[in-house]
Amino acid sequence: MANKTLVVFKREYLERVRSKWFIIATILGPVFLGLITVVPVVLASKTKSSDRLSDVVIIDASGTGLGARIGKTLASFTPKAPPPRVHVVKAEQVASEEQHATQQVIDREAVGYIVLDSTTTAGNSMRYAGRNATSLIDVEVIERTVQQAVLAQRLEAEGINGARVSMLTSIKIDAKTQKITDRGKENASGLASFFFGYGVALVLYMMIAIYGQQIMRGVLEEKTNRVAEVVVSSVKPDSLLAGKILGAGSVALTQVIAWITMSMLMYQVRAPLLKAFGVAGAGALKIPSVPALVGVALVLFFVLGFILYAALFCAVGAMVSNQEDVQQAATPVMMLLIASIIFMQPVLLNPSSTLATVVSWLPFTAPIMMPLRMSLIAIPWYEIVGSLVSVALGCWVATWLSARIYRVGLLMYGKKPDMKELARWIRMA
Amino acid sequence: MADPAIRIAGVTKRFESTVAVRDLSLNVPRGSVYGLLGPNGAGKTTTIRMILDIIAPDTGTIEIMGQPHLAAGVRDRVGYLPEERGLYKKMQVRRILRFLAELKGVPRSIADERIEQWLRRLSLITPEKDWGTAKIDELSRGMQQKVQFIGTLLHEPDLVILDEPFSGLDPINAQALKDTVVELKRAGKTVIFSTHLMDNAERLCDAVCIIAHGEKVLDGEIAAVKQAAGSRNVALSIDGDAGARDAVHAILQDRRVASRVDDQNRFFEIELAAGADPQELLRRVVQTGVGVRRFELITPSLHQIFLERVGATGVEAGMSGHG
Repeated sequence: MANKTLVVFKREYLERVRSKWFIIATILGPVFLGLITVVPVVLASKTKSSDRLSDVVIIDASGTGLGARIGKTLASFTPKAPPPRVHVVKAEQVASEEQHATQQVIDREAVGYIVLDSTTTAGNSMRYAGRNATSLIDVEVIERTVQQAVLAQRLEAEGINGARVSMLTSIKIDAKTQKITDRGKENASGLASFFFGYGVALVLYMMIAIYGQQIMRGVLEEKTNRVAEVVVSSVKPDSLLAGKILGAGSVALTQVIAWITMSMLMYQVRAPLLKAFGVAGAGALKIPSVPALVGVALVLFFVLGFILYAALFCAVGAMVSNQEDVQQAATPVMMLLIASIIFMQPVLLNPSSTLATVVSWLPFTAPIMMPLRMSLIAIPWYEIVGSLVSVALGCWVATWLSARIYRVGLLMYGKKPDMKELARWIRMA
Repeated sequence: MADPAIRIAGVTKRFESTVAVRDLSLNVPRGSVYGLLGPNGAGKTTTIRMILDIIAPDTGTIEIMGQPHLAAGVRDRVGYLPEERGLYKKMQVRRILRFLAELKGVPRSIADERIEQWLRRLSLITPEKDWGTAKIDELSRGMQQKVQFIGTLLHEPDLVILDEPFSGLDPINAQALKDTVVELKRAGKTVIFSTHLMDNAERLCDAVCIIAHGEKVLDGEIAAVKQAAGSRNVALSIDGDAGARDAVHAILQDRRVASRVDDQNRFFEIELAAGADPQELLRRVVQTGVGVRRFELITPSLHQIFLERVGATGVEAGMSGHG
């Protein structure tokens, strides 16, 4: 029987790997992955303030020369752009000046305009209007410049000389983060580890959901095509089931390995790629290190989790006789799977909470939640082993039940069975 | 030749409230063409599925070539064509055939060789096109049936089981199938097929088993079955107008002459009543003035035996017929 399982396995594997869908997804996967590692960095570089920041009109009704001071600072940020045009006006002229400045912005003679008045010198408010008013970073730079100018003005009023003032007020702080785990400080930033854990869990979920449902449709197809009867006249349903699950599982594994390999290559070319996009100083993103044992555990969780869900999906496929019923019948299995996604957020935020521990022990959520926790924090080995045992047990029960439903369902056509009937199938097989 | 190809002994199969097969026993001699006959729902497919261990009997034993049907490797010697035929739609013809052969334990190189031979033989490889590289759903229905048939025979089984093989076949393919059955027999293989078409069965089978309502009605070699049914049947063929026909019809209504008539318009199969004289019948028919084209004392046709033994209750409309 074992070699018949192999024949089924071979067919499942080869037919899926040859399919256009598989080839496209395998190639596009890393491209997509590459995009999501490159694009954020490119986007992040865009969070530097715009290069026409100084191309503004400053309407200064403060009567203190604040506008000129701000104009000078802004001009120094973007030397290539035109410097700010400072209009010193009286308070009652502000409205008409604003109208004029608005027209200038519309005519693209300026990016925006700043209004300074007595409330500004009092340290309360300023106004900015312009095309880049929604750019948080631009507004923040302008705000900070105005703030520093007001401060400088006040300091000068207190008798501190100009040079010292500009030295004292030019402060630029950039926050650099680092993650601390039970193992100590991680080299990678906290954010990278967060994304890694998220990525691992998401890939596991995707693989189980996509390939589990593929098997389900495969079983249904065999039923509706009536190939099932020819096949089970040569091979035991159990061997058929095993061959199908292992075949599709290996396809999923092949795809993940291909993705990882290609992503590693992408990572190698990431720096030049970023340079091509004009982003300097790339390579700051570090992939968190994965110890070999954790890697082995990840694979085990994937394999067991996949078998568990694939067996259930197979049973669903064998239960129904047509496409219309299959989605509805698959709902309970999908719910179990989606539970993992629902718990993802709380576990990501607090991977050592009681909730996180519980869901990483339940057989239905453990295949996704335990790897997620493992990539976030260090988990004691006995917890990992215990969780694996729990999944393995769940796996055993699921395959036992599914094999029985599969055996009976494969040649049953007609109405979708209800729970009572299903229980009879299980006893009957 | 010691063991029969199939020996079924005391097999019963229940589905919920209904009994699909009840205490069925039969022997299929090796090298014979064996017909499993019966109306739809008689238990033919259930019996076949039990032989192939697709479903398990509740009681009884099944032997294939003298071995228990569950023994390892036994089913690899059987080729099966189910009533509901089907193949993987998106698979290439050669790949699906190789898959089916490998499932029966045929090594790949041998399988590939045989596939080429079969594809040529059933003209799925023509000078213009090699259908072997096409996907199943690109094939016409007839071609798909050919592929399915190749899949059944690719592992050169000693025993071939065909469930309702004639259903859905056009006359040309039906003829090709009959030729193949004869060829298989000539090569020493055993062929079992189920059908409700008695004419096919009568021409092709060496032996038959008629089942109805899950129970065996009769079985044995065709000649013996017919012998047992007696030879007091008359085949009558006539020419003539409607009036003449009515006159003949009236004679045949006479229960002292004919106890049962299968009226097929211009052909009648008549079971003579006890004590009736065939000469007397012939004289009365000639007296009506119709042209008698054929008047022959015959053994009853399988169709007649079937109707007689299974009865009208077992044969709902359209379930038995000539095909």
